[in-house]
Amino acid sequence: MKLEAHGLRKNYGALVALDDLTFEAGAGEVVGLLGPNGAGKTTAIRVLTTILAPSAGTFTVAGVPHTRPAEVRRRVGVLPESAGYPGQQTGAEFLRYHARLFGHSRASAASTAAALLDRVGLAERGSTPVSTYSRGMRQRLGIARALVNDPEVVFFDEPTLGLDPAGQRQVLALIAAVARERGATVLLSTHFLGEVEEACARVLILNRGRVVAAGTVAEVTRRAAAPRRGRFRVPAEERPRALEVLARVPGLGAPQALDGRPDWLLASLEGAEVADAVRALADADVPLLGFEQEGARLSDAFLSMTEDE
Amino acid sequence: MGRRWAVVAGQELRDLWLGGRALLLLLAFSVLASAITYVGATSEGINFLEKRETVNLTLQVAVMFGALIALLVAADAISGERERGTLESLLLTPVPRRDLVSGKLVAALSVWFAALVVAVPYLWFLGRDVGAVDDAVLAGLLVGTLVAVSLAALGMLVSVLAASNRVSLSASLFVLLALFAPTLLPGGAKQGWAGELLQRVNPMTAAEHYMRNVVISQYEWTKELSWLVSPIVASVLLVALAVLVAPRFISLRGGAPE
Repeated sequence: MKLEAHGLRKNYGALVALDDLTFEAGAGEVVGLLGPNGAGKTTAIRVLTTILAPSAGTFTVAGVPHTRPAEVRRRVGVLPESAGYPGQQTGAEFLRYHARLFGHSRASAASTAAALLDRVGLAERGSTPVSTYSRGMRQRLGIARALVNDPEVVFFDEPTLGLDPAGQRQVLALIAAVARERGATVLLSTHFLGEVEEACARVLILNRGRVVAAGTVAEVTRRAAAPRRGRFRVPAEERPRALEVLARVPGLGAPQALDGRPDWLLASLEGAEVADAVRALADADVPLLGFEQEGARLSDAFLSMTEDE
Repeated sequence: MGRRWAVVAGQELRDLWLGGRALLLLLAFSVLASAITYVGATSEGINFLEKRETVNLTLQVAVMFGALIALLVAADAISGERERGTLESLLLTPVPRRDLVSGKLVAALSVWFAALVVAVPYLWFLGRDVGAVDDAVLAGLLVGTLVAVSLAALGMLVSVLAASNRVSLSASLFVLLALFAPTLLPGGAKQGWAGELLQRVNPMTAAEHYMRNVVISQYEWTKELSWLVSPIVASVLLVALAVLVAPRFISLRGGAPE
């Protein structure tokens, strides 16, 4: 495992910002870190990147224990939340400087900076001051900076915040490429559930500093125990027959018509397989015009797990 | 690997000088020095000072201005990075925090040395007839450097601990004014054992006293060396605190360690 955390805890005085964070992630894996504001996502990243010392617990990065912070920092790349950039430096100068801080020689720093600028699509703007960059360009520069040391684990903290859809797509594609092409472990902290569903193999949901769910998106969704219901769309004139057919499907909750929508039926899917219901309708020659499943999305799981009691 | 402080210093020097901030401050200093030199050299009515006293005045202004700029640059070093959101990126590198502080301290001190270089032509112009140039330049280099080092280290300490850049800059300026204020007191206030003790304890007044003795009174360099005790102690102590202790307290939020 490239990243392993066991019982991590971070207190600010009496406030527990992070409590018993335990997880692991392998090479090339993209793990989503979800949670509402104040859930502890940024604190978790700052602890795992040695910016903050844990109050309890341990973690290792590529086998290096947290008790050797300088060694850990050599192996991680980070795009911090709301990262600032020195406006008077050029993009290339900024990357060269950070490469030198990671021990590159002058020549190696220059070639690394040029390659990374090219990789994030900023090659043509590398010699202009960062102050002239758009927010999306700065985020891409930040991603390049996070890669100057060829890290084994990369942390992205809200990388698409404030970006337009095109910028979000560019940044997400870069993040996916980091894991795919470099084999790096990626921890992606975000508010955008769609990003996690799109980019992450696994997800951790934090709430009030604690992990409330962990696993693949499908596992987390299932574990959320959000009520699963199916909406079946049939021709309005077939609705009575469809109700009869669905009522006979074992385990399917009592189907009912939807008020004001004569072509839709609603039924609980808790004890039934969707396929059985669809097959029953097909066997009875009831045309199925549409089907929607409620309570089976990550957003439903997220809300059910993080809504305040 | 062992010279990361030099990498930090190099980048800080580029930002400071190529970014134009230090050049602007030096321009302001050269305008001030030009005005003093012009008034001191040409005005019959105001030129009541001995030429050596005019040289000393110019030197004092150079020391105060250079040290002030060094203090302000150092006071911005950590708290400014924190406020601009660039500190986290630096802390995420494997560079020891001590090297970050050392590199930034070196860059801050460059402004003092530049101010002294700018002052040399003025000191030469004013002191060439009375043989005060060598004394003034050497006194500036040795004693002024002690003052500048002390203040830059002080600014760095405040910058590490301050919760905001505004607090850092204003606290540093307040300390500077408190230290320099006694140099403006009339001679009577400096008389007696208590007055002399206060002058000796305050590194700024002690440095000013020593430089005045060398430049105006033409004392030997070795005479009254005891006046350099507090500037030396202050510079060693403050640099040690800034480089050895303060780095442990560098945090993203400032103030108490997280």
